[in-house]
Amino acid sequence: MPQLVPFFFVNQVVFAFVILTVLIYAFSKYILPKFVRIFISRIYINKL
Amino acid sequence: MATRSAALKVDWAKLTSSLGLRGQTAASLQAFKKRNDDARRKVQILSEQAQTVDFEHYRKVLKNQAIVNEIENHFKTFKPATYDVSRQLKAIDAFEAQAVKGAEETKGKVESELRSLQKTLENIETARPFEDLTVDEVAAAQPEIDEKTASLVSKGRWMPAGYKERFGDMSVV
Repeated sequence: MPQLVPFFFVNQVVFAFVILTVLIYAFSKYILPKFVRIFISRIYINKL
Repeated sequence: MATRSAALKVDWAKLTSSLGLRGQTAASLQAFKKRNDDARRKVQILSEQAQTVDFEHYRKVLKNQAIVNEIENHFKTFKPATYDVSRQLKAIDAFEAQAVKGAEETKGKVESELRSLQKTLENIETARPFEDLTVDEVAAAQPEIDEKTASLVSKGRWMPAGYKERFGDMSVV
């Protein structure tokens, strides 16, 4: 298994951090706010 | 007299009904009308009475001629007292101007309110059902949705308070 081969450890760690960072940024900036907006709109419409 | 003709022109019964006056305003208007009628009746009665005095008759009847002469003299020199009403008229004019200004203001306010109500009514009549609305349209109609979203996101909270209680929790874990 290549993930257990020490030669690829640095590559894996780098990509893990890059992917985590991109995911957290994309979720917190774009995806989750969209959901929150939908939830709040839904609450507002039901309040009318 | 100008004032009397103006008062005669007023249709009192119509005034109350057409302006839709109620309560104190109608009562005070009624009182004002009564005062006007009373004054007019008084003037009518007084003007019908004899305005000449037969002093010769009194000279014949009374022994004391001096007093008759004195009274005749007084009668001839009598002049009705005149009152300066310009101040009152000015005050009335000022009051009228203020009342008209207030009425105009109220009219403008009522008209703008009517316009906004008309707009709201149009909105209601042409509104689409909620199923056809997008979140963007709802947020455009109610900017506080975006404000609340921004504030929740900046606090790192991803679920508005009271949402799960109202719509249930769909998450599996």
